[in-house]
Amino acid sequence: MAVRAQFEGNNEVGVFSKLTNAYCLVGIGGSENFYSVFEGELEAIPVVHASLGGCRIIGRMCAGNRHGLLVPNSTTDQELQHIRNSLPDSVRVQRVEERLSALGNVIACNDYVALVHPDLDRETEEIITDVLKVEVFKNTVASNVLVGSYCAFSNQGGLVHPKTSTEDLDELSSLLQVPLVAGTINRGSDVIGAGLVVNDWIAFCGLDTTATEVAVIENIFKLGHGQPSAIQTEMRDSLLDR
Amino acid sequence: MAAYNFKKITVVPPVKDFLDIVLSKTQRQTPTVVHRHYKISRIRGFYMRKIKFTVQTFRDKLTMILNDFPKLDDLHPFYADLLNILYDKDHYKLALGQINTARRLVEKVGNEYVTLMKRGDTLYRCKQMKRIALGRMCTIMERQKRNLEYLEQVRQHISRLPSIDPNTRTLLICGFPNVGKSSFINKITRADVEVQPYAFTTKSLYVGHTDFHYLRWQVIDTPGILDRPLEERNAIEMQAIAALAHIHAVVLYIMDVSEQCGESLENQFHLFESIKPMFANKPLLIVCNKIDVIGINELPAEKQKILKEVEAAGIPLLAMSTLTEDGVMDACERLLEHRKIHSSLSKKFTDLAGRLHVAMPVKRDQKARPPCIPESVLQRNIIAGDTKRRKLERDIELEEGDDYNLDLRKTWDLHNPEEKYDVIPEIWNGKNIADFIDPEIMRKLEELEKEEELRENAGLYDNDEESDDDDMKELRKTARKIREKRQIIVMESREKRRVEKSRMPRTGRKVNPNEMEEELGKLGVDFDSSKETNFARLRSRSASRKALKRKREESAKPRSQTRSLSRPPRDKSGMRDEVMVKKAKKVARKAQHPQNLSAKKGEGDRVILNMKPKHLFSGKRKQGKTTRR
Repeated sequence: MAVRAQFEGNNEVGVFSKLTNAYCLVGIGGSENFYSVFEGELEAIPVVHASLGGCRIIGRMCAGNRHGLLVPNSTTDQELQHIRNSLPDSVRVQRVEERLSALGNVIACNDYVALVHPDLDRETEEIITDVLKVEVFKNTVASNVLVGSYCAFSNQGGLVHPKTSTEDLDELSSLLQVPLVAGTINRGSDVIGAGLVVNDWIAFCGLDTTATEVAVIENIFKLGHGQPSAIQTEMRDSLLDR
Repeated sequence: MAAYNFKKITVVPPVKDFLDIVLSKTQRQTPTVVHRHYKISRIRGFYMRKIKFTVQTFRDKLTMILNDFPKLDDLHPFYADLLNILYDKDHYKLALGQINTARRLVEKVGNEYVTLMKRGDTLYRCKQMKRIALGRMCTIMERQKRNLEYLEQVRQHISRLPSIDPNTRTLLICGFPNVGKSSFINKITRADVEVQPYAFTTKSLYVGHTDFHYLRWQVIDTPGILDRPLEERNAIEMQAIAALAHIHAVVLYIMDVSEQCGESLENQFHLFESIKPMFANKPLLIVCNKIDVIGINELPAEKQKILKEVEAAGIPLLAMSTLTEDGVMDACERLLEHRKIHSSLSKKFTDLAGRLHVAMPVKRDQKARPPCIPESVLQRNIIAGDTKRRKLERDIELEEGDDYNLDLRKTWDLHNPEEKYDVIPEIWNGKNIADFIDPEIMRKLEELEKEEELRENAGLYDNDEESDDDDMKELRKTARKIREKRQIIVMESREKRRVEKSRMPRTGRKVNPNEMEEELGKLGVDFDSSKETNFARLRSRSASRKALKRKREESAKPRSQTRSLSRPPRDKSGMRDEVMVKKAKKVARKAQHPQNLSAKKGEGDRVILNMKPKHLFSGKRKQGKTTRR
């Protein structure tokens, strides 16, 4: 199931929220509209208000999966304590001293693998391996180094930058061990990570996202009854004829 | 999304308003004060500026009109034809052309009078020159009255045209009047076109949009077409023809098999044949509508023959009823099929390769990577009928309104839920408590508690008071009483001995160095008051000070060594004796008095400079002079 949402008139839901299989963080906004979209859909996992370093753009600042959560160095002690107290004990929370402090932009991960910015520190890489319990790969998406911004993947599938070539897609897919497809979000936007948050059973995307884009998301992430193969068969004409 | 947007054309005011706007703008935005005695170059500049400003305003306004209105030659041929049908191309072009000419003429008049202004030698002449210039410009514009009115009408109409995108995927519905075209568009879109049981209900093009197979389709409803030569068609029909001719769309030719529209099936087929050239290279469908009235199989044999002919020509035939909705979706399905076959994919395909290519992973190890979906989610998906709505944060916010306060700790998931709202200081004794959080603290606490328990069990804290015998108890009790009694006695005696008089505070008391030395010496401190102490410098309060200023009365000895002692002081030189000196001083003091007074005068003090102003005290008194005197 893919749900359309908007944060105070902004379609980039991935900027203001972080969704994993074990928890969901939501930025603190002026009203509870955005929070309640998540709250209403996610009953199985905690949905938590959070800020990082006083910022509401938490989706771009932190990286995490069901095993752990990495927060940037700018996170204050109080924010860290709040997150620690809200998340289940099985989730490790770790503050990372990293020059590229927008961790969400430089790290894309599911519960088994992580794709990271090529310039990330060795220490950070080790922390990712330890805390998130993932294999780490340094790679680019359609020659963009900000892998977290330009792709989004769960344990079941992934959506990457629309200009990714088929060779790159195959390579990335073998690395990540999930089916991948190139696509857009929010009526043609290429910043997938900013416009979409996804876990194994639900996805949230910007309000501008078209029906075709939603259908692609539901198929590639196997949400509801979607299957990746449907993109090549049933949806082929819709994708071509635009 | 629409490539053509005619809604943003600014209003074309009627000529009277137009002139008012321009002239009042000139009045408001140029200087208004000029005087006869100004230098002539300044006067000329003043009026020149007015002329130039007016020309500029005219030019801006007219240019805006010219730019806003679409140029027929640049438009998509469909729109060009449509505008030609609706507004007559020649008239439209002529109007815009004349506006352009008017703009040029205004500029010319402006230039001419700016040049002439150089010959103006008085304010009056310059002003007349300006008046002539502005008047001529207004006359030129007044001649454009008709054109402006026409353009305003065009603007109002054009802004209400449906925004048809000629390049997107489109369904075009056409046919005889009253065959059910508008009913069909209402069925598949939300266009809400008026449907009435008479011919030519639809008098212009209508657009609706529908979603089919994740795609947005543009559906165009056209006015009905009658079966007659092109030259005889009216403007309403011509709109349909223009759409048919220029929009690359899937064409639905709707036929009324029941003949309720008033035309026989033969006539309808004849019309189809006559406009067939316009269907060339377009996917085409013939739709037999109103089958709820009479089914195709129930038709007379000769009419069925016509339909057979059509099918034989390779044109797909569809039966549908907009009343009972039979076959409406079937029509859409066929259309997409058509589009698929006819759309040229080759160019786009390379761009979109990635979007169609689903990269399936090649297994690189034996590790299983299953999705992690909580059991409750899977359960919920199976049940799916869970309609009970939880109370969300948003509901609470709406309920509480302005009193709502975001409770962050609500989501805290602690071992002991009672601790949720405990106050946690950020800073304690000047230190950030977060720095002192020990990850092992819970374990340590547990250890300590265990140790404590052991101690308690060992009886370390058992009170041994109970083991005392009664004698000891008695003794303790008495001792306590004695202590209390003594304390009371001490306090009472202090109260009695207290002296009721003012006492010098210790700090105010004078300390005698000798006594102090003696006292400190007894205590064993080596103390010498003679050196490095400030006791020596203490002075008695009664000592009189030296005068700060030399007394004036008796001149003191001159301090300076350079001045001779034999020379008398200035205030005494030339004086005979002391009496004379005193007298002289008195005179001097009196002479100083007025100066001293005036030194005290300030700006705020009343001053009358001229007690008798000449103009008020000479000449004849006319009305109103007396009171001023």
